[in-house]
Amino acid sequence: MSNRVRKDKDAGSKAWIMVFVTISLFCIIFFAARGRFQAPVSSQAVSLVLSPFQQAVSWVSNEFRFVTSNIWEIATLHEQNKMLRSEVEQLRAINVQANEAMSENERLRAMVGYKQSAHQFDTVAARVIGRESDTWSSMIVIDRGTGSGIQNDMPVVTPAGLVGRVVEAGLNSSKVQLILDPRSSVGTIVQRAESRVTGIVRGDVSNPTMPQMVNIPKNADVVEGDVIVTSGFGGIFPKGIVVGLVSSLQNDAGGLLKIGVLETAVDFQKLEDVMVITASREAPPEPIQPPPQTPGTETDPKAQAEGQKK
Amino acid sequence: MSNIIKWIVFVVVLYALQTSFFPLMSYHGISPDFMLLLTTSYAFLRGPEQGAMMGFATGMLKDLAMGSFLGMHAFTHLLLGYLCGRLANRVFKEQFFLPVFASLAVTAANYFILALLMVLLGYRFNPVSNVQYMLLPMLTYQLAFAYPVHYLTYNMDKKMRTQETN
Repeated sequence: MSNRVRKDKDAGSKAWIMVFVTISLFCIIFFAARGRFQAPVSSQAVSLVLSPFQQAVSWVSNEFRFVTSNIWEIATLHEQNKMLRSEVEQLRAINVQANEAMSENERLRAMVGYKQSAHQFDTVAARVIGRESDTWSSMIVIDRGTGSGIQNDMPVVTPAGLVGRVVEAGLNSSKVQLILDPRSSVGTIVQRAESRVTGIVRGDVSNPTMPQMVNIPKNADVVEGDVIVTSGFGGIFPKGIVVGLVSSLQNDAGGLLKIGVLETAVDFQKLEDVMVITASREAPPEPIQPPPQTPGTETDPKAQAEGQKK
Repeated sequence: MSNIIKWIVFVVVLYALQTSFFPLMSYHGISPDFMLLLTTSYAFLRGPEQGAMMGFATGMLKDLAMGSFLGMHAFTHLLLGYLCGRLANRVFKEQFFLPVFASLAVTAANYFILALLMVLLGYRFNPVSNVQYMLLPMLTYQLAFAYPVHYLTYNMDKKMRTQETN
């Protein structure tokens, strides 16, 4: 009889513990999502323990990928060669046009005295060692941390375009929030010169591989195929990094705005190596040259002659 | 090495495989969720309390290691570990059919609880395309990997029990 009573008491206290833990977790979820609760120490401790295992497994998987991709490339070499030849022909034609546009651009810049807007980036190369399996959020882990100069909020890119930003820099690894994550938002602009419409790119929970450009006015000049780049507003992402191109346009539920569904410039399925931008600054301006003068009317013929020699 | 440390190493290695090797064969970013499969198997083998504890541990590991929504997986895994454990008393431990197929129901339940939490957090999404992009590939992966994970967990548990009795 007494055993039965004790058993019932035990079961009752366990049920209460279960209810308490469940409610506590429920509260943590909501406080954490609103940014009012964080667990940086335990999170970094877990990353510290896990990252050697992840690095080892990731090394094996990279070797495996290297072997399989080599075999595939050898098998498709002939077809690839044909495709690349035709692409080279197309790119040559585009290159001629681009050179023409660049020289025109330089002349026009010189005419209006426009400030040089190119940026130089200091980057740290990193390898992707971990990735989430479900897609309610999209995060990756890279093998560089504060020891390599990585800090929170640094932008992460590949040569193809924007990947995301560092949200938690650990000692030897860092967590990167991809632009596919629903919590991520990036200030962007349409690259086309006639458009220059701004919007915010956010991850979409419905289709985790294609983020959305939101807040576009309904009558704005955005069309399918437009290239979207970062606008530099917000201070985290430098201006001009390619985010993706508009794959389709949809009407917003409110009816006043439209949404651009983006095809990302970076292939997130094959993300192996990334670069973290640790510093970005404007490129130093070109040295000042004396303006060319009409022969015979030089104000300082000596300086003019020296300038031409240079 | 004590049994708890062995289980910790097992969980960490399985998680490293899940996050560092299996994304190679992911479909639209979805790859198998070994932590959920492990929780299901462990709960079927050890009952509700230990199932809930394993669920909490694996869920919290997922939340802390990757920086997703903190507490979300710990919450769902804890609940599902407990519920699977409740069924454990009615199933023979050598029976592989139920734990393997229960992992499908557990994956679906996990998905719907997480979807509900996302809605409560204010995220809106199209449920039809979401099921198509997330749940269906996930169920396929889970079905393919449920047996190997359950087999490993079963053997690990058997070894631990013989050591405990000796």
